[in-house]
Amino acid sequence: MAVDITLLFKASVKTVKTRNKALGVAAGDSAKDELLKRSAARCKSDFTSRAREVISHIGKLKDFLLQHRKDYINAYSHIMSEYVRMTDTERDQIDQDAQVFMRTCADAIHLLRTEAHKGVQSAQVKEHRSAVLDFIEDYLKRVCKLYSEQRAIRVKRVIDKKRLSRLEPEQSNVSTSPLSPEKSSLNPFDDSEEKLSAEETKDRNLPDAQSNVGLWGDGKGEDELSPEEIQMFEQENQRLVGEMNNLFDEVRQIEGKVVEISRLQEIFTEKVLQQETDIDNIHQLVVGATENIKEGNEDIREAIKNNAGFRVWILFFLVMCSFSLLFLD
Amino acid sequence: MAAGIREKQTVALKRMLNFNVPPVKNSTGEPVWKVLIYDRFGQDIISPLLSVKELRDMGITLHLLLHSDRDAIPDVPAVYFVMPTEENIDRMCQDLRNQLYESYYLNFISAISRSKLEDIANAAIGANAVTQVAKVFDQYLNFITLEDDMFVLCNQNKELVSYRAINRPDITDTEMETIMDTIVDSLFCFFVTLGAIPIIRCSRGTAAEMVAVKLDKKLRENLRDARNSLFTGDTLGAGQFSFQRPLLVLVDRNIDLATPLHHTWTYQALVHDVLDFHLNRVNLEESTGTESSPAGARPKKKNKKSYDLTTSDKFWQKHKGSPFPEVAESVQQELESYRAQEDEVKRLKSIMGIEGEDEGAISMLSDNTAKLTSAVSSLPELLEKKRLIDLHTNVATAVLEHIKSRKLDVYFEYEEKIMSKSTLDKSLLDMISDPDAGTPEDKMRLFLIYYISSAQVPSEIDLEQYKKALMDAGCNLAPLSYIKQWNLFSRVMNTGSQFVMEGVKNLVLKQQNLPVTRILDNLMEMKSNPETDDYRYFDPKMLRGSDSSVPRNKNPFQEAIVFVVGGGNYIEYQNLIDYVKGKQGKHVLYGCSELFNATQFIKQLSQLGQK
Repeated sequence: MAVDITLLFKASVKTVKTRNKALGVAAGDSAKDELLKRSAARCKSDFTSRAREVISHIGKLKDFLLQHRKDYINAYSHIMSEYVRMTDTERDQIDQDAQVFMRTCADAIHLLRTEAHKGVQSAQVKEHRSAVLDFIEDYLKRVCKLYSEQRAIRVKRVIDKKRLSRLEPEQSNVSTSPLSPEKSSLNPFDDSEEKLSAEETKDRNLPDAQSNVGLWGDGKGEDELSPEEIQMFEQENQRLVGEMNNLFDEVRQIEGKVVEISRLQEIFTEKVLQQETDIDNIHQLVVGATENIKEGNEDIREAIKNNAGFRVWILFFLVMCSFSLLFLD
Repeated sequence: MAAGIREKQTVALKRMLNFNVPPVKNSTGEPVWKVLIYDRFGQDIISPLLSVKELRDMGITLHLLLHSDRDAIPDVPAVYFVMPTEENIDRMCQDLRNQLYESYYLNFISAISRSKLEDIANAAIGANAVTQVAKVFDQYLNFITLEDDMFVLCNQNKELVSYRAINRPDITDTEMETIMDTIVDSLFCFFVTLGAIPIIRCSRGTAAEMVAVKLDKKLRENLRDARNSLFTGDTLGAGQFSFQRPLLVLVDRNIDLATPLHHTWTYQALVHDVLDFHLNRVNLEESTGTESSPAGARPKKKNKKSYDLTTSDKFWQKHKGSPFPEVAESVQQELESYRAQEDEVKRLKSIMGIEGEDEGAISMLSDNTAKLTSAVSSLPELLEKKRLIDLHTNVATAVLEHIKSRKLDVYFEYEEKIMSKSTLDKSLLDMISDPDAGTPEDKMRLFLIYYISSAQVPSEIDLEQYKKALMDAGCNLAPLSYIKQWNLFSRVMNTGSQFVMEGVKNLVLKQQNLPVTRILDNLMEMKSNPETDDYRYFDPKMLRGSDSSVPRNKNPFQEAIVFVVGGGNYIEYQNLIDYVKGKQGKHVLYGCSELFNATQFIKQLSQLGQK
């Protein structure tokens, strides 16, 4: 366990001060030095103050998201309370605002990154600043994750809601028919409690509803339109409603899938970007290697030439020597 | 003490890095950044416990050595983790004067003295930086934890507390005192971090006894000082699920000189023996290609690779104590399972291609997406697994090469036979004069083990024969002279007898207990044994400092810490682990003043023998 000796330290500071006073030693720098020191620190801390601003912005965004999170999600529970209903437009507004905010924060970080390396000499400060910027980006990513989680939940709930709401037209149709009130009112409730994924049950309900309505339509009969025509129109209505609902449903599902795919896409882009830097490195190395090889070839050619020339000279020298030996007495 | 010492030290470090406030789990917390400054001691302590990534997670942007050139990074808090030595203090005062950072959090690895604290205060006043020194702490972390249950005292100044330093014939009293003080200081820090006060037992008349006396005194003084005691409050609360206190067994290296020289067969011990292995990092040299280079070309450069073998490496954790052939098999198995998983992922790709056109059922589509998501998220795991498999394949191959070239398996078998007193089918002389089995050092080790563990001194003629054979093989005879002297002193310690042998399988480690394990067993189970009966008994909590050797507590201990003064190695550690595996609910920690392998030990012995 660590022992906090800060108090001990402060006590020793006091001791030293009194000792210094007793010995008459000058007590520290003058106020002027302090001012100089402070001003120097102030202009260097520009980077830090801006970094802290960005962090406070991101903090505000996070608070905003967390604050409205409950309303955002809660309104989808089947028990709707009076006060905390959020309309869809409000939710869209929140989404939009959050996105704009995130984009501005990302831009600010980018700007800081480009500026951070100007006017700085030491490598350690550079490293420190880039690490600080990494931290801030990480923070932003975490807050964005909050937002995208919320959004994913929302989309999922809408899909489920649409699946449930598919039964509402059948429910309203069947409940008005006096022919089989209890049985038909029981049917949708049962269905809503069971799993809704099977299409067959819905399809079964539709013909039921249609047949009920058809009977009902037959029973009433209007003056202007013949009963058969009314029935046909009703059937066509039902069919169109069903088709529209199908399409709408599929669109919602596709939206959900797209959200998932976009997440996967993010992961892939990250990996591809990482590979990009690697490939750039490899490219540089390969270019360097080709240069080296070219130079190497040149050197080898020179060497061969020199070798050949050297040999010629040696031969010549030897021949001259032998001739001189032969012909000089 | 259910949590290992490693966890406790990591928690203490993380708390220190968080400005000495217990870290709060907050996934969307604002980033706080700081700079970490350490000296070499601090580096050795931190590096086995926290990786660079973990440091980053704690908000550390830069980590620098104290004595390097550091630039001013204003408005950043700096956390210092250093030993309170003169030069470190001077450098810190210099930093204060140069106004390098915004605020300073000073953490000393072991307790700082009052006068040095005043030096810092002086410098702080001189630099008008008193307000900048935010906190000063004594961390009491002066030991290096390598595994969950193994720790070493220090790595930097190993020579000061080495076996050689303690057993030198020309050592002065003051030097001995300083060495003992260093050891006791580290042990004290260890117990402060552990949060428990042990019952100490040690043998008589050895360096271990000196350490025990001093440690007992230090613990006693600390307990008396009720105001500042380090063992009160929350530290005790955490560690008191067991109402028992742990047992500290202090042994001296001299009880068993044969074990550090032994050739071994378990994975971790082999890596330590054969390769360059320090602080959980192994350095391999790989030669890049074995074809003969054309004349005149530059020699091929060897690649140096270093790997970290940590607790997050599951394969290492599982197999570090297993015999080497098992390890090789397991690597193969892991490789196969990895390939199967890879094929699974590839197959998924083809499935996706076929079923992508089918738009009908919703559920099937969502299932595919889910499969894809799970495949993508399992990719990092697969990559990590592959990396580990590569790592261990390389390490195992390197070890295997050494084994093959030096015929270490033969040595191992032979030594086992010597140490367990079964009949030897090849005479020692043959082994030594065999030209292609092992380096001269291996032969020296073999001979020393034989010499140490033989019941009677071999006759002069035999000795001469052996000596001649050893010289022919090229060994240095200095260690032998030292062992002879040592033998004259301590023939009483009959290490050869009393080995228990279970099972006779070739090349599989037999379940025999090394002397250290035996001693621990006796003391923990309160067995009566002539060897351990006259061990001294210290209890720092008792009011009267008694010298009795009668233990007051008659129950067997549940937790024990074995500390070897003079050096230890992985073979003993492995033996202790195996012993504990057989007993339910017992925990044993192993510590030593330094960790050496046989090569280093032989060097120390030869230095001692030359004097």
